[in-house]
Amino acid sequence: MSLIGRLAWSNLRARPGQAGLLLVVLILATGTLSLALAVNETGDRPWERMWQRTNGGHIYAEVFHRPDLPPDDPALVRARAELAALPAAPGVEAAGGPWRSVFTNGVVAGVRMELIVASRDSSPGGVGHPLVTGGQWLDGGDGVVLEDGLASVLPVAPGDTITVTGLTLPVRGVASSVSAGRFPMHQPGRIWANPSTVDKLRAAGAEDFTDAVELRLADPAQAGAFAATHRREYGIAVLDVTTWEQLRDNAHDELSIFAIALLVIGTLLAWLTIATAAVLVASRMAAQIRQVGTLKAVGVTPGQITRVLLLEYCCLAAVASAVGIVVGTLLSPVAARNMPSLYGAPEAPAITWQRSAVVVAVAAAVVLLGTVRPAIRGARRSTIRSLGADVLPPPRRPSRLARWALRSGVPLPAVLGLRAALRRPGRLVANAAGFALGLAMVMIALAIDGGIDRFLASRPRNDVEDAVSAGLEQALIDRLQAIVTAAGILLIALATVNVVVVAIFAARDSARNHAILRAVGATPRQTVTAFLVSQLGSCLLACAVGIPLGVFLFNTLGGDLAPARLSALTYAAVVVGAPLLCLATVAVPARLLARQPVAPLLTYE
Amino acid sequence: MREAMLALLAKEPAHGYELRQRLTRALGPIGEVLNPGQVYVTLSRLERAGLVRADQVAQTAAPDKKVYEVTPAGREHVATWLLDASWPKVAPVEFHLKLVAAAATGLADPVALIDAQRRELLRRLRDVQRLADDESVDADGVLLLEGTALRLQADVRWLEACERRWTGWRS
Amino acid sequence: MSAVIEARGLSRHYPGNGLPVRAVDSVDVVIERGEAVSVMGPSGCGKSTLLHLLGGLERPTAGELRLDGRRVDQLSESAWARLRRRGVGFVFQAFHLVDELSAVENVELPALLVGMSRREARARAMKLLDRLGVADRAGHLPDRLSGGQRQRVAIARALINEPLLVLADEPTGNLDSHATGEILKILARLRDAQQTLLLVTHDPRVAAVADRLLSMRDGSIVEDTRLEGGLSRQAALAQIAGWEA
Repeated sequence: MSLIGRLAWSNLRARPGQAGLLLVVLILATGTLSLALAVNETGDRPWERMWQRTNGGHIYAEVFHRPDLPPDDPALVRARAELAALPAAPGVEAAGGPWRSVFTNGVVAGVRMELIVASRDSSPGGVGHPLVTGGQWLDGGDGVVLEDGLASVLPVAPGDTITVTGLTLPVRGVASSVSAGRFPMHQPGRIWANPSTVDKLRAAGAEDFTDAVELRLADPAQAGAFAATHRREYGIAVLDVTTWEQLRDNAHDELSIFAIALLVIGTLLAWLTIATAAVLVASRMAAQIRQVGTLKAVGVTPGQITRVLLLEYCCLAAVASAVGIVVGTLLSPVAARNMPSLYGAPEAPAITWQRSAVVVAVAAAVVLLGTVRPAIRGARRSTIRSLGADVLPPPRRPSRLARWALRSGVPLPAVLGLRAALRRPGRLVANAAGFALGLAMVMIALAIDGGIDRFLASRPRNDVEDAVSAGLEQALIDRLQAIVTAAGILLIALATVNVVVVAIFAARDSARNHAILRAVGATPRQTVTAFLVSQLGSCLLACAVGIPLGVFLFNTLGGDLAPARLSALTYAAVVVGAPLLCLATVAVPARLLARQPVAPLLTYE
Repeated sequence: MREAMLALLAKEPAHGYELRQRLTRALGPIGEVLNPGQVYVTLSRLERAGLVRADQVAQTAAPDKKVYEVTPAGREHVATWLLDASWPKVAPVEFHLKLVAAAATGLADPVALIDAQRRELLRRLRDVQRLADDESVDADGVLLLEGTALRLQADVRWLEACERRWTGWRS
Repeated sequence: MSAVIEARGLSRHYPGNGLPVRAVDSVDVVIERGEAVSVMGPSGCGKSTLLHLLGGLERPTAGELRLDGRRVDQLSESAWARLRRRGVGFVFQAFHLVDELSAVENVELPALLVGMSRREARARAMKLLDRLGVADRAGHLPDRLSGGQRQRVAIARALINEPLLVLADEPTGNLDSHATGEILKILARLRDAQQTLLLVTHDPRVAAVADRLLSMRDGSIVEDTRLEGGLSRQAALAQIAGWEA
């Protein structure tokens, strides 16, 4: 192994705790991103299975037109003629249709609702023949077959009767098809009936809706070109031609809501990881500064030192990417469980290089942003200084704020703490960032919670049909809420870990100064107070930024649930609780600092 | 002291009293214990060795005094001395042998000898440092005292090393 | 008037592998006001630990310690801290100045801790820095000072509350020979001003500043001797010159 490789490996082994912490946080970020990208495709495999079992077409062509158009309208006639000619087009192996469908309303299981009735013949097989899941297919009579989702939500069973356009029709069976999306995700509900039955409905007042054709091509790869070639627009009538892939991708819109939510969470986690990585690297560089100096003194260049560090963290990023991609993909069915539009239990999609590339790119970006700057600065520092006593960079002049505090009678320990915090403002901000993100997430979760109750309460509950929609919305929102709450807890937990890590390193950095203060007569309580004040600074900054940030994000991205309207009590609880949580977590390293024996720090090494 | 006196005379002839003044000034406090008789004894020895020549100078209001002048041989001697880089008495041979002898004969405990000597040297170091503290001492005097202190410091350190070596020599 | 330091059976043991390590082993010592005492001994003899014990930086595991007549070996950390403010000034080998404070701010720190007004603390600090010859560096941060200057600032800090006792641990350990000479002069001045001093050192020249020498070995004091030769100035000079010639 090259020198750089060996150094990198020994560095990782020497600090397993830090490497482990960074790895965990990074895996959470990559895992969430991978989950976000994969969840959209969890419905694909069940969809494709249904498509195969129904002998689904590669091409779906439909004529849409203005509702009140007379049948002899020239545009409509042309469109329908084009449609009818499609089965004979070059490249077409098999075809189903044209089938006419009508738009009407009826009563199903006591619920008044709008319906689409599509005509099909009673012969089995053929392109796009729906899969019977209960009862039987059409038999030439007036019996109808209900779409599976519709039948299960309401519920309706074969043998029941429904009313359509005023006509009472028996239910012969229940079937499923990819060309008809599942109710209630895709509305209105869909029914299949014989052409003669459809004619009866038209006579009773049902409107013409579409004419449709499903085609199987000799060469499926040509589907895109075929669709592009045969699409037509005649203003008031449109011949829409789509491929089976497009149909599949649009089948599960509700999953994209989760994908977006998870993407936002994943991004926040990525930023949190950057903040954590920056803290770890900066402290690592400070602690290793003597090693860096020794290495440079024996001829290792600053460039090589930077490369060692990058190699270490890139290895961590690579491992985290791999684990995150696999775990996120495997967990994606969980996020999509029981979603109404699915044609079966959701399944983890195959790992594609496109999705993997995104995750790897993000992991690499996190590592670079978090580690490069402190690492390069550390490596560039002059050798003499590295080998000398001072571990920290030379401090700036004490800030005006600190001097003012001393003059105005703020107790000395607090002033010293304030000084310590303000001496490196960059670090103060970086430390505050992690906790701020966690707080923002908590605010979002609270706002969603409050917003949903209001949103649902504001909807009129008259129609059962609206109740069905509302029920669907409720299901989606519940799932979203669960994701957001889990994310909020996770982010706050990680942010707290970040606070503790920062505090531990700060305690280590300031240990010598505290020993000096104790030697000149400061009591342990005074030094601990100084330490708490210095840490509290970034806590307060985090609260000042994180709480409004969360509210702002919610108002901007919250859609129907915005604007956030949280009670004053909620705000008060967060504003008071967050700093207390900070203080509580920081108190532990603070106490350890106080307990530390002073003499060893003051004895010459 | 011989060579230094020769050198001072090489610059210009002087009588005994002047010579002693110059030497005393150069030595600082240590010059205080310079035996006046020693100067004259050394001058006669130099005369016998042919390195200086004494002349009688008549004085009007005082008895004749001897003025000493350096000879060519003396001048050569001074030149050689100035360029000579030998440094006398570098190795602490005597004390080292004292310890070896004590151990061999069993007449004294080497460590006790070392401790006593160390105490003595520290006392002298203390005295030297107090002398140097005196502000009335000029720069040359201070320099000489500094050299003395450094040598005493080095000797004490060596004695500490001796102690480490001789502790437990019996076993 | 009670002694500044009175230690009886003072001990500091650490649990080791098997036998406990006796860093300081039952030390008896009395140091009176105005005495300058140096402590010498090989590495690991416990002299630094003894200094820490006398200044309350470490707790004894056995024995009694009295500072100015007051029993202190059982004091809490806070009580020791308050005692140190007025009673004990430390001078360390590594100087141990706070990097973020300027020289004068470092010096006035103990004064602020005892509750002195800012103005008075600043005035005292500047006066001390002036006496020690570093007043012109008062506003500089420690990393801009040479070793000798830093140690002088540290000495000023130790003196600002007019302590009962100044404890110095290898005060010239990190200094070059020129700076060592400066510090030796300052220590001599403190001794002449009757400041009670305890100097722990390897350097014979630092030890020779004191009037009394304690030698330590393996945690115990094996020798307690006066360094005053009792010789007259003439006799001392003769001795030195005789040795020289």
